[in-house]
Amino acid sequence: MLNSLSLDAINTLAAIILLTDFMLVASSRMRSLTRIFAIQSLALGALAAVVAFETGAEHIYIVAVLSIVLKAVIIPRFIDYATTKIQVKREVEPLVKIPGSLLICAAITLLAYFVTEPLMQQGTAITSNCLAISFASVLIGMFLMVSRRKAITEIIGLLVVENGVFFAAISTTYSMPMIVELGVFFDVLVGVIIMGLFAFRINRTFDSIDTSILRGLKD
Amino acid sequence: MIITLILLPVAVALVCLLLNRYTKLVETASVVGAGLLLLLGSILVLHVFEEGIIDEGMWYLDQLGAFMLLIIVLIGFLAILYSVPYMRHEHENGEVSSNMLGLYYTFLFLFIFTMVLVVVSNNLGIVWIAVEGTTLVSAFLVGFYNKGTSLEAAWKYLIICSIGISLALLGTIFVYASSIDVLGENSDLHWTSLMAVAGQLDPAFLKIGFVLVLIGYGTKVGLAPMHTWLPDAHSQAPSPVSALLSGVLLNCAMYAVLRYHILMTHSSIGGAFSSGLLLLFGLLSLGIAAAFIITQKDYKRLLAYSSIEHMGIIAIGFGFGGFWGIFGALLHMFNHSMTKALLFFGAGNVLQKYKTKSIDGVRGLSRTMPYTSVLLLMGALAITGSPPFSVFTSEIMVLTGGIDQGNILPSLLYAGMIVIIFAAFMGHVVRMIFGDPPEGMEKGEVNKAGLIPMVALVVIILVMGIFIPDGLSDALRDIVALFGGQV
Repeated sequence: MLNSLSLDAINTLAAIILLTDFMLVASSRMRSLTRIFAIQSLALGALAAVVAFETGAEHIYIVAVLSIVLKAVIIPRFIDYATTKIQVKREVEPLVKIPGSLLICAAITLLAYFVTEPLMQQGTAITSNCLAISFASVLIGMFLMVSRRKAITEIIGLLVVENGVFFAAISTTYSMPMIVELGVFFDVLVGVIIMGLFAFRINRTFDSIDTSILRGLKD
Repeated sequence: MIITLILLPVAVALVCLLLNRYTKLVETASVVGAGLLLLLGSILVLHVFEEGIIDEGMWYLDQLGAFMLLIIVLIGFLAILYSVPYMRHEHENGEVSSNMLGLYYTFLFLFIFTMVLVVVSNNLGIVWIAVEGTTLVSAFLVGFYNKGTSLEAAWKYLIICSIGISLALLGTIFVYASSIDVLGENSDLHWTSLMAVAGQLDPAFLKIGFVLVLIGYGTKVGLAPMHTWLPDAHSQAPSPVSALLSGVLLNCAMYAVLRYHILMTHSSIGGAFSSGLLLLFGLLSLGIAAAFIITQKDYKRLLAYSSIEHMGIIAIGFGFGGFWGIFGALLHMFNHSMTKALLFFGAGNVLQKYKTKSIDGVRGLSRTMPYTSVLLLMGALAITGSPPFSVFTSEIMVLTGGIDQGNILPSLLYAGMIVIIFAAFMGHVVRMIFGDPPEGMEKGEVNKAGLIPMVALVVIILVMGIFIPDGLSDALRDIVALFGGQV
């Protein structure tokens, strides 16, 4: 049976993930965004490692390590590098003010809980009660994307969505088949690099990466 | 066999990358590569149509996959044929450097590679990876011209489709979760393994999984209201790329939805739930497309909205179900991609001649470019569903399917909107073709070699409008049978 220490660890890490979601919404500095994202990815990787320990499925260890290396180290560094290189202003400039954003995210979390409740009762995984938090992560990531103006913050929003999806995989099925998991990591890495390159090009062409000026195309 | 098909476009892409600076060699390599791909693809398609499914575990080609593969290699080949004169013209006009030209072919083949990967993978996770891959690769092609509007289109495309595709991944995970109780640790997310136990999949997970997959991949299909990236991307990409996006990529995304739809029809939930959703999204797409086609001012966007319309028609066909609904929708996937490629090639010729995408800026095509204008007029008549072209046949089949299944109100809406779109679309095209050309516009085709693939497409849509080859129609029947109890 599940050892209570592991259960505590899983619950604590899940709570940290939800907390970092809210910190991302609340932070007003670009630098802290990447740091918080790195912490979130670290917590997620640790959670995967606990699950690997509990279930004895060795391939989840690989997933956990990859997740930490990629999303807690490489990608945040790349984004920091891009931010310095483009010389983005350090403020986040939200379209929705921070207190309002936090309220909306609280509502999103409640919604995620209600949507996933029937699924959580169905689930047999030791982590099935984390499903609500993973769903909330996906939705909060999307909210970040639509409510922040810079191309870089949109990338971070997308990464939070991605973390949420990864978390959902852990909470329902522990993980996906190894080859799929590797492919997804590859796509995420390539995706971030390509988006970074486009952010460079947008900055060069418009002299800004404020995506709200991308309004040239309409019917 | 299948692995050769997958690796061939990658090899050609590498060759194009290495030969980068030697434009002539890159072009030759591309045409030869596309020709080989067409040959190899056709052999595999014929094999599947005649002998049956090829199952290599990871790689799996049944009639449905083979049918999609046929569309990919055919349009892929014609798009490369058209690209050579088109891009050379862009190069001569200083729009594209020779370095960029090499990259163009490299990415075009990588794009084709990701699409081939979508239709030959048995693993639904790999299908997801490949669909995401199509976005990443084609974003470069959409933002190919280093202009503000192209970058804007590419950025929107990347962001909107990436959100969509994340939802599709979540859906894939839920479908995977629905199989864990039955298949246990052995569950490998292979479509064939899931189909084998479809009746025992957990309905709660499967249902929410399908909804997420439909919204996610539906974004790439261009179903309204997730379609907002599509008109921008299609209008900003170079014309041969628009043809591939519209004619092939949208179908590949629809193919991914279909795999899950088939799974649903065999599950304990039954097909009514997923069919109903497809019908709903289809009708909505048709309605939105009609509204924007009426008021359209840009002819490439006009074609893009027409693609939303036709993806809507395809979704409606599968939504109606029954033999004719499904058969018609499948046939429509083929017919739409051929006709739309023809129109985008024609639009490319017009763009290079008139240097504007505005419908009002183009007048007197019949006098300035007689060949293009005849082909374009035929394409326009075909896409709006006039006989004897093939789109007419499949649209009537879908309508028959709707009436057969007793979906009278949706059928009426469907027919009504097609008539409205016919009038609006033809109105725009007729204004472009007739009238007096702008001052100083000389007579003469800009892209004579580009007319060859256009003529080939006209022949295909005319022949397919008159009769459907037995081999193809048998294969389509086999695909309809996959949808199980609905027939």
